[in-house]
Formats: sequence, structure tokens, C-alpha cells
Amino acid sequence: MSVHKMLAALAGGVALTALLSVGGAGTAQAQGVACPVKIGGILPLTGSMAPITKKIAESAQLAVEHINAGGGVKGCPVQLVLRDDQGQPTVGVDAAKYLVEVERVPAITGTISSGVTGPIIASVTAPSRVVQISCCSTASAFTLDGRSQGYFFRTLPTSKTQAFATASEIAKRGLKKTAIIYVNTDFGIDMTRFVKEALPKLGGEITAEVAYNDNQPSYRAEVQRALAARPESLLLIGFPKDAVTIVREWLSLGGSPKIALNNSMRVKDFVDGVGARFLNEAFGMDNAQVQGPTVDAFNQAFLAKFGYDSQGPGVHTQYDAVMAIGLAMNIAKDLTGPSIKDAVRQIHAAGGATVGTGPDEFRKAVGLIREGKAIKYHGATGPLEFDANGDVTGPALVWKITNGEILVDYTISIEEMQALFKKVEG
Amino acid sequence: MIGLVSYLVFFLCIVLILGVITLGLNLQWGSTGLFNAGIVGFYAIGAYTHAIVTAAPKAGMIANMGLPWIAGVVAAMAATALVAWIVGLATIRLRGDYLAVATFGIATTIQLLTHNLEPLTGGSHGFSGIPRPLFDVLGSPFAFNLFYLGLLACVVALVYWALERMVRSPWGRVLRAIREDETAAVALGKSATRFRLEAFVVGSTLMGLAGALYVSFIGFVSPFDFVPILTFQIWAMVIIGGSGNNRGALLGALVVWTIWAATGIAVTKFVPVAYAAQGGAVQVILIGLLLVLALLFRPRGLIGEAAQVSRHAEKG
Repeated sequence: MSVHKMLAALAGGVALTALLSVGGAGTAQAQGVACPVKIGGILPLTGSMAPITKKIAESAQLAVEHINAGGGVKGCPVQLVLRDDQGQPTVGVDAAKYLVEVERVPAITGTISSGVTGPIIASVTAPSRVVQISCCSTASAFTLDGRSQGYFFRTLPTSKTQAFATASEIAKRGLKKTAIIYVNTDFGIDMTRFVKEALPKLGGEITAEVAYNDNQPSYRAEVQRALAARPESLLLIGFPKDAVTIVREWLSLGGSPKIALNNSMRVKDFVDGVGARFLNEAFGMDNAQVQGPTVDAFNQAFLAKFGYDSQGPGVHTQYDAVMAIGLAMNIAKDLTGPSIKDAVRQIHAAGGATVGTGPDEFRKAVGLIREGKAIKYHGATGPLEFDANGDVTGPALVWKITNGEILVDYTISIEEMQALFKKVEG
Repeated sequence: MIGLVSYLVFFLCIVLILGVITLGLNLQWGSTGLFNAGIVGFYAIGAYTHAIVTAAPKAGMIANMGLPWIAGVVAAMAATALVAWIVGLATIRLRGDYLAVATFGIATTIQLLTHNLEPLTGGSHGFSGIPRPLFDVLGSPFAFNLFYLGLLACVVALVYWALERMVRSPWGRVLRAIREDETAAVALGKSATRFRLEAFVVGSTLMGLAGALYVSFIGFVSPFDFVPILTFQIWAMVIIGGSGNNRGALLGALVVWTIWAATGIAVTKFVPVAYAAQGGAVQVILIGLLLVLALLFRPRGLIGEAAQVSRHAEKG
């Protein structure tokens, strides 16, 4: 093949992509907005995440249906342009760039893997000032280090919720000096960082932070380092198998029986492994299931539409991600990224009228927004309020161990968690 | 319209970055017959070296240097060359699929290292804040992408020119001799191991270069960028384009990446909205179908290897 042929092929490839890119620019006008209003969606529909993504994608479609049945955005129907990222960063970035540049979407929902969400924020949504709301990416750096310039939000609680609840409970029990032993993974590191941020502000002190690597036969060295400053209590963040070894060594070396544990230890194997009689002063934290009428309404709507229940990771948070975009687009003065970004913060305004899930509630919200009134969205994950970083919080629960039984001590509601966040973060 | 142009510029940037990798693999496989299944490993070394060398120091990252872009590119190539040389010393005597298994294992090891060397690489949280050359000066993302496309075009042209010179030189002819009949080449007094190692190191260095070009384009890198599927995409590009031909390697990068992007766009255009959740599966089927068709109709690739490599040989 000659150079000419190759150039022809090159031109052909580019032309093919271009041709596919153009078609279907629907044009009808309503309130100065081109109909339909497009929202971008990026999810790993194929690849290793595919089994859980199916329900998540359906949840996004359900939200779009509800938005359209409830009056759409500024009088226009909404269209979700959904692309597959295949769990691969380059594919996801290409899809995002296409959605932003060719489809001209001002907001994107997605995606699941943090390794795909990260490059999309860095190279597409933040530089192009497009709002991105993820149902499922947890890496704390996205919202913390300021690179998203405020354009990235997520609707699932990060490990911060559990960490702040832990710090609050330690302080509440009057334990002034605490040593932390944590597993050396991003979960353990994040948890430790957030506890460290919260505990001093709530009246506690951290005497030692010791990381451990999993699957070791003994953790005496780590335990001794944690014990050196004579703490009143231990916070252990890790997984049950190694935690059994650590707690036994901690107690045998004279450590306090007042031990705080993370959610992974809320299992019988852990209690039996250590011995129930040593754990009567231990307590732990977990994320709690959100309850409420707006959650039930979503669950019923999902069941009615698809014929199976909405249980599964990301399903509820994805619905809220799309609804948040729909509401924010109605609130925003125009459909540009910066306006929508500011509007996302107004979907849960103080003193606003409560609106919930489903088409009727969306219609109610649109009516209130037209009248210039504030709204307070309660979604499939309960009250949806983004903090300064674009993160949400969730309810938590405190559990205790009494004679070998793992019991729920009490629940920290989402409103109490939001108050706690404000107390810690100011 | 400006949106479409902007997308195509971005798209071509990715194609050219992938093209640098396919050129590297083409030297290894197309010219020398080395079955390198560890492409992502070398790509990752280049990417992370560049990130560490150019990113500004910040809390929690122990090695960030904040040096200029060009220093990052040079360091990325040097580091990849060094790693490839060490890997090559240990594995280059392995034949065919044995080399594939060994390099695949090494790539997986490198990916796991990037996952776990958190103070160096940011671990699974990813490495953010990698500077993009002149991004702030140019102002808009479009201006930057256009500038970067120009930069990439120059780099690819340079690499292409250099490789063309190399494979047409006596050195290049020895590589082909080894690929066709190693025993014969050795009988003529050539050290097969040395030539294989040289080709391996040069090819891998180009993969490292591509890694540096990729991270300074995107501005973010994480271990998820280096999953094994990328290795096989690159292989598909070289085979579809025509292995043993540098133009074929570049064309393969364009064609295969176009297939990937165009099928994704086609699915959003033609699959009814109600079935959008199944669109991903349709896209994967289309990709597979197009790759198979390409090989059925052009088994030697779109542009096969030229029949002769020396201008001294008789035209035939």
C-alpha cells in the first residue's frame, strides 16, 4: 500500500468518526434551550464491572424517565447519551471528550472505577468546565486536592462518614488517648487520615499511628509500638483475620480492652476468634441503611419498572446522581457547566420545601423552582446535600458486643452526620 | 463544528500516542520476532517516571521533582531503557511464547508495584497534578490539544524516520535474518542474543516514551491505565495494520482506535434508548467482528511487510 492509500485510509477513518459524530442534532426550541437536553453518561457496561453495572445503568434510565415524566428540563425532554468505558481509562476519556465536544453535554454522570473517573476529571470535565457526578468512585483525592475545581460531585458516602462517626464515638466515650493500628491499603490510609482530622476537634488525642501489612503470622512489633505511649484505647482499622491476631496480642501485652473497630469486624468469626469474653468493652461503626419514604418510593418504582429489586451497589446513588443533574439544570439560569455547578449546591437548600423521588415529586420541584422557591431534595439515598468538597454523607450506626452477641447500639441519622461534618470541617 | 474538530484533535492525539507504542512493538515483533506481551509494563515505567520527574513536590509524595517537561521525557526513556535492558538480560534467550509469558509476568509485577508504592506513585488513588506543557499559557483545552497534536506529530515523524533508517540499515537486516532463521544468522557470525536485546531495549524505550507523552497529555495516571487489555489492543493494532511495516503499525493504531471510538458512537446513535444499557455489549461484538473481518480480508495486515529491505537488492 502506498503513502497515498494510507493517507486515504487515514482520511477515511477520521471522516467515518466525524460522520457518525454529526447526525441527529435535534432542534426544537423551548425557553431558549435546544431540545432535547442531553446529559452524558459513562459507565463500564462491559468488562469486569459489567455484572453490577447493568442495574446501575437501568437506575440512570429510570431517573431520566422520571425527569421527563415530571416536566423535563426547562420544558425540554432530557436524553441520556450513555457510553461504555469498558473499565479502561483511555476508552472512558475518549467517550467523555466525545460527549463534551460533539454532543455538547453540560453535565456527565459517571463513572465507577476511580482509575477511569480520575483521568476524565483531569483531562475533560474540569478543563472544559463540565459538571461530573459519580455514583461510585471513592478515591478521596478527587474531591480533596482541588483539581476538579468544584465540578466533580459524588452521591455515595466516602470512608469519611465512618471515620467521623468513629471519632465522634471515641470522644463521646471520654477516651482521651487513642492509638491507631490500620491496614496499609487506601481504605486504611483514608480512614486514619479522616479520624486524625476529626478526633482532635472533638476532644481526643492520637498517641500513635501504626500501619500493618496483612497476612503476617504475628503483629507483636506493631502492637508494641502502639502501646508505647500508654493509650487508653485502641482503634483498629483492618480486616477480621489479621484483626484477631492483633487484638489477642494487644490484650496479652496489657492493652486496654476499650477497642474501637471498623465495619469489617462486625462478623461472628472475629468475635469467636478473639474470644467473646474479652470484647465486652469493644465497639464499632458501620454504614447504616438509609430509610424513609423517598427511598421506598424509589425501590417500588424500580421494582415496578424492571421486575426485580433495586438491591446492589451504586443503584440508589446513580439515581440520585441523575436526579441531582436534572434538578440543578432546572435551577441553573442557563445550561452551561458553571451555572449547573452552582445550582447543584441549591438542590438541598436550607429552609427549602422537601421534594422526593419519582415523576410527581420532580414535577413539584420544577413548579417550586419556576416560582423562585428553594427546594430540599430527598432522594433514593435520603437527604442529598453536598459538602464543600462535593461529597455527601450517609447515616452510620454504632454496634457493640455483649456476651458474644453483636448488637446495634444506636443509629446516627444522616442529619446528625451532616451536623458532625459541619462541626469537624467548619 | 468547532466541537467536532476539538474532539478529532483529541482523538488523533490518542492515536499518535498509541502509534508510538505500535512502532516500538513493530520493531520487536515485526522486525525481530520478539513476542513481547509486557507492553503495559514498559509503558507504565515511562508514564510514572515522567510523572515523578515533572510533578511539583507535594505532601505525601516523596519523590516529586518538579523538573521541566523535556527532562521528564528523557528520564522516562532512560528509565524504561534501563528496565528493559535488565529484563532483557534475564529473558531474551527465551523463545516465542516463553518470552511472552515471562514479559507478561513482568508487566503484571510492574503494575502491582505502581499499585503499592504509594509514596512514589499515589497507589490506587492515582497520581494527579502532572503538568501539561504550556497548558496555562495556551488558556483553553482546545488550544492545548491542538498544540499537543503538533508536538506529537513531530515526535512520531522523528521516531518513524529513525526507525525507517534503522530497519533499512545493516543492523535492521540482521534483525530480519534472526527472525527468519536464527541458526543461519548465527552461522554468519552474528550474535543473535545481542541483536535481540538491542531491538528489545529500543522498542521498549519507545513504549516508555509513549507513557511520558500520555501522562503529560492527560495530567493524571493510575494503575488502572496499565491493565493487560492495552497490551492486546496494541497487538491488534500491529497485526491489523501490517506487522513488519512501520506505516502499517501507525495505520493499525488509527484503524483500531477508530473502530473502538466509532462503534461507541454508533451504539449511542443507533441503539434505542431503552436498550442503552445493552449498548456496551453491542459495541464489543462490533469491535470483534470488525477485527475478524479485517484479518479475513487482509491476513497480512492492511499494509503488509515490504518484500525487500535493501535498495541494493534486485527489484523483483
